[in-house]
Amino acid sequence: MLKLWSCVRKELLLLCRDRVGLLVIFLMPVVLVIVVTLVQENVLRSMGETKTQVLFLDRDSGVVGRQMEEIIRKSDAVTIVKEIAGKQIDVEAAKLAVAKGDFQCAVVIPEGTTKAFMKKTREAVENSLAASSAKGKVRKDRLQEPAPRFLIYFDPALSETLRLGLTSLFEKVIMGIEMKEKMRVFSELLPVHLEAAAKEAMGPLWSEENRKMVSGARIEWDNAPIMVVEEKAAQYGAPVLRPNTVQQNVPAWTLFGMFFIVVPLAGSLIGERQTGMLTRLFVMPLSYLTMISGKIISYVIICVVQFALIMAIGRFVLPIFGAPVLNVGSAPAALILITVSAGLAASGYGILLGTVARTYEQASMFGAVSVVIFAALGGIMVPVYVMPKVMQSISVFSPLSWGLRAFQEVFVRGGTVRSVLPDTTLMLLFFVTTTLIAWFYMSQRGRTRIQ
Amino acid sequence: MNGTGLCRGETLTTDHLVKVYRGVDRPALNELTLSIGEGQIFGLLGPNGAGKTTAISVMNTFLRPTSGGVTVCGIDAVKYPRRARKLIGYVPQDIALYPDLSARENLRFFGRIYGLRGKGLERRINECAEFVGLERNLDQRIFTFSGGMKRRANLAAGLIHEPKVLFLDEPTVGIDPQSRNLILERLATLKDKTTMVYTTHYMREAELLCSYVVIMDAGEIIAEGAPEDLLRRDPSCTNLEELFIALTGKQLRD
Repeated sequence: MLKLWSCVRKELLLLCRDRVGLLVIFLMPVVLVIVVTLVQENVLRSMGETKTQVLFLDRDSGVVGRQMEEIIRKSDAVTIVKEIAGKQIDVEAAKLAVAKGDFQCAVVIPEGTTKAFMKKTREAVENSLAASSAKGKVRKDRLQEPAPRFLIYFDPALSETLRLGLTSLFEKVIMGIEMKEKMRVFSELLPVHLEAAAKEAMGPLWSEENRKMVSGARIEWDNAPIMVVEEKAAQYGAPVLRPNTVQQNVPAWTLFGMFFIVVPLAGSLIGERQTGMLTRLFVMPLSYLTMISGKIISYVIICVVQFALIMAIGRFVLPIFGAPVLNVGSAPAALILITVSAGLAASGYGILLGTVARTYEQASMFGAVSVVIFAALGGIMVPVYVMPKVMQSISVFSPLSWGLRAFQEVFVRGGTVRSVLPDTTLMLLFFVTTTLIAWFYMSQRGRTRIQ
Repeated sequence: MNGTGLCRGETLTTDHLVKVYRGVDRPALNELTLSIGEGQIFGLLGPNGAGKTTAISVMNTFLRPTSGGVTVCGIDAVKYPRRARKLIGYVPQDIALYPDLSARENLRFFGRIYGLRGKGLERRINECAEFVGLERNLDQRIFTFSGGMKRRANLAAGLIHEPKVLFLDEPTVGIDPQSRNLILERLATLKDKTTMVYTTHYMREAELLCSYVVIMDAGEIIAEGAPEDLLRRDPSCTNLEELFIALTGKQLRD
């Protein structure tokens, strides 16, 4: 046990002193997870997958602007921004911010909009009532007058789908305000219109009592929705959280970082072989199993630290940049099992590489490229479900895909130790297989050496 | 072993050792039989390819012989290599140390592998460092050492567990005369406690240090005895180097 502990301490000490190794093991996945998540977050924002930020400039300060803001604020899809860096903005500044891509669009309500809107609404209702009356005069000149406008400036890089979605949202908002205002004006004008019509119809029979009865006519509109659209995800089984950029990238790049330990691990084995250290160790009372176990335990510890570090970034750092907070599920034991299994799988691969490769250059080149290929196949860079069918069927052979699937099971589907067992078993089998191949290769190469 | 820690009688013996590498017809060792007594500094000399490193590798349990046997302090080293390894120290030709660890950290790691711990281990680290003149550099990382310092640290690592038999494979190659002199002086003081098997291409070193030398060529012993006895047998040679050339020839070996 003392020997194993000595090997672990030695490996950890060597890793702590290896600045390049530390950069590869810790800094690279941290940078990757932050950069890729934020880049994808921005892409998804321009595609409308996340809340859209809309600059809102109400130059009118009337009922129309207030109602519009109130309705938009209730929307889950849009966030209203009225200041940039704590300062009020003018139309030019808003256009510039949108053109730069800082915001997806800017809504400008010009001065006098409410007045023009009210006038137009009243005229429209008056015209409608006049058209239904025998003696009423429809003023056709009013129909020719242009409707008041409010302006929307869109980011030119915005996807067409999102642009149409936003336009549709604003049209719906305007329609709602227009309908409400029309109803209000209609309610106001209806008694006047009725009184005039009744007075004319009744002639001399018209009395003060009739007038009170007609002018007291009021319409109370029921605002309860008449029909509701209900959205539901088409799925089988338990409800799932929708994976966002953070839920996808944090576990994905954590696994990528874990598997990159193959480079320093293989390098340490090759270094020991090339410097004669391995020969020295082989003539000491130290078994090959203890020596390799020391390396494996050290690198699994490194993987656990990597995991904790990147999870902390997902929870506390990414939200600072506007990304969603990482949801780590509610099965810590399952997460530990996945992390240790992935660490073992990566260590096994590193040992195989360090045993088979003749030089550090071979190991670092092949190790890095093979991990990138495993990652691409495993859905680290692009989720497996968007891959072509052929690639999807190949992806099942990547240990990174097993790890990612297991993490997603816990993070998104509320998985437990039991539900991640199939994928963790595959990773453990990968570890056993690679380690056995390495041992077999080693024993063949040094067949005459005493074990 | 006796009460003083030395093995009784012969410390290291080899019995008709044969070693044939895969794919090579000629044996690297051919019926090598040696008997090395306690406290002896045993020189193993020979040109390149003579079989010196193979002989050391078989004797120190790194390689399995094709046939024949090795005993270390009475332990069958082929059958029970792990038991024998506790008694063996090895100073390889390469600087087999971790360059990113300090001398103390390297010695601590090797000491722990031999089961040393606590104050006993720290005492041995200091003793070994002092022995090779590195007591002031113990906390310096190996990669900052000069060639001579690395060689001396390499020697200290082989001595950390006070081995009964110490194998030294060209321990002074490529270093300055001062470091070489220190190593040779210090090794001479060890002979009361440790039996040494020493390979070198520096014949003068062997002549000064070794109590018994074996000159090998093509895996076989071509001459053996105390250096002065060997020279006495061939009066035409005034030193071991001349005798070595006379026995192995002037033809280049690769």
